[in-house]
Amino acid sequence: MKTLFKIAWRNLWRNRRRTILTAASVTLALTLALFMRSMQFGSYEQMIRAGVNQVGYLQVHDTGYWNNQSIDRAFFYSDNLGEILHNTKGISHVLPVLQTFSLASYGNRTKGVLISGIDPVKENQQTNLSGKVIKGSYLKENSSGVIMGDKLAEYLKMKVGDTLVLIGQGYRGITAYGIYPVSGIFHLPSPKMNNQVVFMNVTDAQSFVYPYRIGLLTGISVFIRDPSQLNGIKKTLTENLGKHYEVISWKTVLSDLLQTIKMDNASGQIMLLILYLIAAFGIFSTVLMMTMEKRKQYAVMISIGMLRRKLVWVSIFETFIVSVLGVIISLIIISPVLYYLHLNPIPLTGDMANMYLAFNFAPIIPFSIKAHIFISQTVIILILSLLSAFYPIIYISRFNVLNAFRH
Amino acid sequence: MSIIEVKNIYKVYNETKVPVNALNGVDLKIEEGEFTAIVGPSGSGKTTLLNILGGLDLPSKGDIFIEETNLKDLSSRQLTDFRLHNIGFVFQSYNLIPVLTAKENTEFILQLQKVPKKERIQKAMELLEAVGIADKADHRPGQLSGGQQQRVAVARALASQPRFIIADEPTANLDSRSTNDLLEIMAEMNRKYHSTFIFATHDQRVMDKAHRIVTIDDGKIIGDETFKGR
Repeated sequence: MKTLFKIAWRNLWRNRRRTILTAASVTLALTLALFMRSMQFGSYEQMIRAGVNQVGYLQVHDTGYWNNQSIDRAFFYSDNLGEILHNTKGISHVLPVLQTFSLASYGNRTKGVLISGIDPVKENQQTNLSGKVIKGSYLKENSSGVIMGDKLAEYLKMKVGDTLVLIGQGYRGITAYGIYPVSGIFHLPSPKMNNQVVFMNVTDAQSFVYPYRIGLLTGISVFIRDPSQLNGIKKTLTENLGKHYEVISWKTVLSDLLQTIKMDNASGQIMLLILYLIAAFGIFSTVLMMTMEKRKQYAVMISIGMLRRKLVWVSIFETFIVSVLGVIISLIIISPVLYYLHLNPIPLTGDMANMYLAFNFAPIIPFSIKAHIFISQTVIILILSLLSAFYPIIYISRFNVLNAFRH
Repeated sequence: MSIIEVKNIYKVYNETKVPVNALNGVDLKIEEGEFTAIVGPSGSGKTTLLNILGGLDLPSKGDIFIEETNLKDLSSRQLTDFRLHNIGFVFQSYNLIPVLTAKENTEFILQLQKVPKKERIQKAMELLEAVGIADKADHRPGQLSGGQQQRVAVARALASQPRFIIADEPTANLDSRSTNDLLEIMAEMNRKYHSTFIFATHDQRVMDKAHRIVTIDDGKIIGDETFKGR
């Protein structure tokens, strides 16, 4: 094997320029692929981070709530529940949420809205909701105001200081109703939220849906310190909370986002395919030329007693060496660049920056340096190169020695 | 004792519209230690016969025995293995492996035979010494003259201690001095190791050294002379 490797290595360097050009095509393809994937995955990570920041890594509900989001599937916060959440290792903090649907009315206008009861301080720390308030002021603890989306305010023809009437179904079939002053109007990136959502203090929301006993929640968003521990924490919580509660991860809550990422990723993969086809043709054309050039050498080797299957290894080694060479050069070039960009993402300015900020994203183009990006792209290139070696393998196993001598 | 026995072989090439009969009923016996030249005009069937003797091609009809083995009974893989252990080749255009040095080229065949490293290096150097090119052991073929390359080819052919060596026009690309030197070396190997050589040649100088001259024309043997005392 060592001699076969030596022959392959020396064969490659007999035509130094061709070998360098082939390795360069591998380098170029891999470098571009890594840059593209690093940027793509960096953006995905940012989107997921922003999404998770809103909904939590895990959500605890009453069992069945996620599939049937009715106020009747709300639950009362208990000390036992609080203790379990507090004692579970890895949880950094939790946010209580109470959400229900209701009719909102002002003057002669009425509209169905989503009421979201939140802890104003904790929510603001998590999502910077106060930063989205464009008129009036953000919610205060122990005050009974509400903030609503700008489109909803526009529809209801309301302004800061007006009084909103809410009427809907409360917990266990009671009628929920109340009047609340509008303390602020917000603008979020999602038009749906601007059209539909009313935020209020969680205690106000609890009192709205069930004034007889305070403490009702539809969910608790759970935030963890180390995302890699997600599955373990989910398992622990599920076991400790028992069958009355369901614990779902952000992957379920943000399934739409994941779907969007998946589709974007698919378009990225098409670009990658084009890049890899270029690289594969580069390798294949070299392999083809080398095979044709060495017909006579192959014929001699078989004549003197070398088995064809051993000869095949020379071709495999040649293809592998040139690919590995390209891969190594690419990694040497791109790794420090991506590491630098990971630490110093490209800042965005102007409208683009504003758009990112509106979506709660940092105005940067982030780069990911996750190992799987490097491993997967390198493995794909090496597999492609080995596929290119099929031609000489087939050729060597079939070619006519005497014909090769004649050529 | 015959090491090669060719029995009524025919070779027909069907690669063109009109079939070409390259060999038309050849019978031949080669004894161990012979230094035989197969001569004849171009297209007479010399190379075809040599290819069949060397197990690189098989006859369309007839049998070829190397000692007790009928080459027609061997699979492609068995034939390759048979060549490795029984037949040495010297080609017209040297055909050394261009990326290996003279020593590595000679050693390569021993490596295929799985001879231990130390032994094969020693043997390769002995053979290069015997063909007078030990000082060029670390040179690649591109750094050697035609005559020097052909000496390496002879050393390579001898390295596996084959039953016989096939040489197809080995002097065709050599100048007269190199030809004489090479023939001397092969004659010396024939005397020293009792190696059997079979040449296909047009070269009178080769014929002058041969112990036996088999003349072939139109795919048939038309003459077979033995010269005692050469």
